[in-house]
Amino acid sequence: MAAATAGGLRQPSVLPGFGLTLGITLTYLSLIVLVPLAALVASAAGLGWDGFWKSVLQPRVLAAFQISLATALVAALVNAVFGLVVAWVLVRYDFPGKKLVDAIVDLPFALPTAVAGIALTGLYAPNGWVGGMLASLGIKVAFTPIGITIALIFIGLPFVVRMVEPVLQDFEAEQEEAAGMLGAGRLATFVRVILPAILPALLTGFAMAFARALGEYGSVIFIAGNLPMVSEIVPLLIVIRLEQYDYGGAAAVATMMLGVSFALLLVINLLQQWVRSRHGS
Amino acid sequence: MNIDIQAITKRFGAYTALNSVDLRIGSGELVALLGPSGSGKTTLLRIIAGLETPDGGTVLFGGEDALQRHPRDRQVGFVFQHYALFRHMTVFDNVAFGLQVRPRSQRPAKSVIADRVNELLRLVQLDKLATRYPSQLSGGQRQRVALARALAIEPRVLLLDEPFGALDAKVRKELRRWLRHLHDAMGITSVFVTHDQEEALELADRVVVMSQGRIEQVGTPTEVYRQPATAFVYDFLGDANRIECRVEGGQVRLASQGQPLGGVSGQAGPAVVYVRPHDIELQPAGDDQATGTVRRVYEVGPLVRAEVDYAGTLLEVAVPADDRMPFRAGDRVRVVLRRGLVFPADRPDRPEPMALVPFRGGASGPVVQRL
Repeated sequence: MAAATAGGLRQPSVLPGFGLTLGITLTYLSLIVLVPLAALVASAAGLGWDGFWKSVLQPRVLAAFQISLATALVAALVNAVFGLVVAWVLVRYDFPGKKLVDAIVDLPFALPTAVAGIALTGLYAPNGWVGGMLASLGIKVAFTPIGITIALIFIGLPFVVRMVEPVLQDFEAEQEEAAGMLGAGRLATFVRVILPAILPALLTGFAMAFARALGEYGSVIFIAGNLPMVSEIVPLLIVIRLEQYDYGGAAAVATMMLGVSFALLLVINLLQQWVRSRHGS
Repeated sequence: MNIDIQAITKRFGAYTALNSVDLRIGSGELVALLGPSGSGKTTLLRIIAGLETPDGGTVLFGGEDALQRHPRDRQVGFVFQHYALFRHMTVFDNVAFGLQVRPRSQRPAKSVIADRVNELLRLVQLDKLATRYPSQLSGGQRQRVALARALAIEPRVLLLDEPFGALDAKVRKELRRWLRHLHDAMGITSVFVTHDQEEALELADRVVVMSQGRIEQVGTPTEVYRQPATAFVYDFLGDANRIECRVEGGQVRLASQGQPLGGVSGQAGPAVVYVRPHDIELQPAGDDQATGTVRRVYEVGPLVRAEVDYAGTLLEVAVPADDRMPFRAGDRVRVVLRRGLVFPADRPDRPEPMALVPFRGGASGPVVQRL
C-alpha cells in the first residue's frame, strides 16, 4: 500500500526492478542524449539572447529552415503513401523475387548515405540518365529542393515499410470479409476498415521518416548543390559555420533546429496518441 | 428466401472439401450444418455467402442464381466465429457500417440510420453500450454486436459460422436460447455451422450432418438422433458403444465369442452394433449367467457411469444417479442391450441400419421390428 500511494507515481506491480531499471534508463538517456544536447544549448547561450536571435534570424538561416522542413515533410508524406503500397504488396501477394524486393527495401538503412548521394547526383544531374530526360522537359532536379526531396525519400523509405508491414500482417482477413458482406466496396473497405487499423503504425513510420529526413546530411549535400537561399539545408549551414570557426553561431542554429524538431515530433506523437485512443484499446 | 444448393463441389489443391453436395433450405428455416472439423461445413457456408467460389454446382436464392452476384450484393448477413468487429469503431458505428457504406442514392438519412441502429441495439440488449469499443465488451456482448451488425442490412439470409464456438459454456447456452427466440421473431432463413451436436439438436429446425465433404443425413433433430442413416451419424450425435458382431439366423452374435446380443431382421454377415450408454442395462448375476465384469464406476453430475468389460469389448454404461449404481469394480454382471442399431459392415454404400431387438426376461423368439 505504501508503495502504491507514494507520490502516486508508482503503480503496484508484481514485476520487480522498477527502481533499478528506471535509474538505468535515466542515467543512460542523460549520458547519451541529454548531456550533449545541454552542452549544445549552453554554448549557444554564450551568445546571449540578442546574439542568438541575430544569429538565427538571418535570411539565409530562415531560408535553410524553410527548405529543410518543407523537403523533409514532403519526403515523409511521399514515403507514407508509397511505403504503404510497398508494405501492402509484400504482405498481400506472393510473387517470384519477393525475398529480393524485401531485401532491397532495407538497403537505404545499410548504405553509407554519401554513397546514396553520389549515386543520386550522377543519375539526376543534367548530364545523368534521368536528369537529362527531365531537363529536356524543362524540369531541373539536381541542385534544387526537388533533388533534396528525392534524396530524403530514398533514405526514409524503410521506416514506413517496416512499421506498417507487421500490422498489415496481423490484420484479420475476417474484418475485410465482414466489410464486404455488409456491402462495402473495395475502396470503402480500405478507407473505413483497413486504413484506420494501420494508421497508428503509418503515423509512427511517417514520424520516423520525417525525423530522419530533418537530420539527414550525407546524401543531401551532393545532390543539393548547396546554393544559399535555394538549396541549402540546415545541417549543412551548421557545418559551414563550424568551418568558419563560428562555434557560437553553429550552436545557435543547432539549438533552433533542436527546438523545432522536438516540437514537431511532440506534435506527431500527440497525434498518434489521439489516434490510438480512438481505437479504445 | 429459400436456398437451393445443387451439386456443389469445392477442391483445395488435391483435397476435396465438398463433393457434389445437394441441399434445399426452406424459407424461414433455421438449419444447422453439423460435422467434425474437415467435414466441409464451413466451406459450404462460405460458398453460400460468396466468400468462397465453388469449382462446380449452383446456389439458388429464391430460384435466382446467387453465384452470379457479388457477395456484397447478395444481401447475406454473416456472423464470424471470432466476431470480426471493427476495432476502431464504437458499437454504434459497427452496427451502422452496413447502412453507411451504401451508395448515396440508397443510403438512408442519418437520423433513419441512427433510429435503425438503436432499435437493433435494443433488440440485442446492448443499447446502453452503444459508445463502447469492442475491446471493452465481453465475448457474448461482442457476438451480439456482430449479430446486430449483420441484421442491420436487412439480410434475406443469415449465416453464422460457429457463432458460439469461442464462448464459455454458460454464455453459450444463454445465447443459444436467445438466438432461437430471435429467429422465431424475425423469421429470416438462417444457417449456422457447429461441431457441437447438442447445439445443433437444441437450436435447429433441421440438422445437416456432414462428413468428409458429403452430407450424411438431413433431418429434424429427432430424426437424425432416433433414426440415424449411417453409423457416422449415430456415432457423432452422442456417446456410442461400438460392438463388432455377426448377423446369423435372425440373431446378432458377438463377433469374438458368439454370445447372442439380440434379434434382428436382415442378411447374414459381419456387422457393428451401436448402443448408447444409457441403453445398456446391468443385472446382478451369478457366475453361470454373467456376461461381463465391471471395471470402473464413477459419477458425473446426474449420471453414474460404469465401464464394463463385455467379452473383451469395453462398454460405457450410464445410469441416472438417483438409481444408485448397485455395482462396484470387479462385480460380475449380466449385460442386456435394451436398444441398439445394427449396421452391416460389408456394404459400405449406405446400408439401411437395422434395429436390434432386445432379449428381455423371457422374450419369446426374435421379434422383427424396423425403425
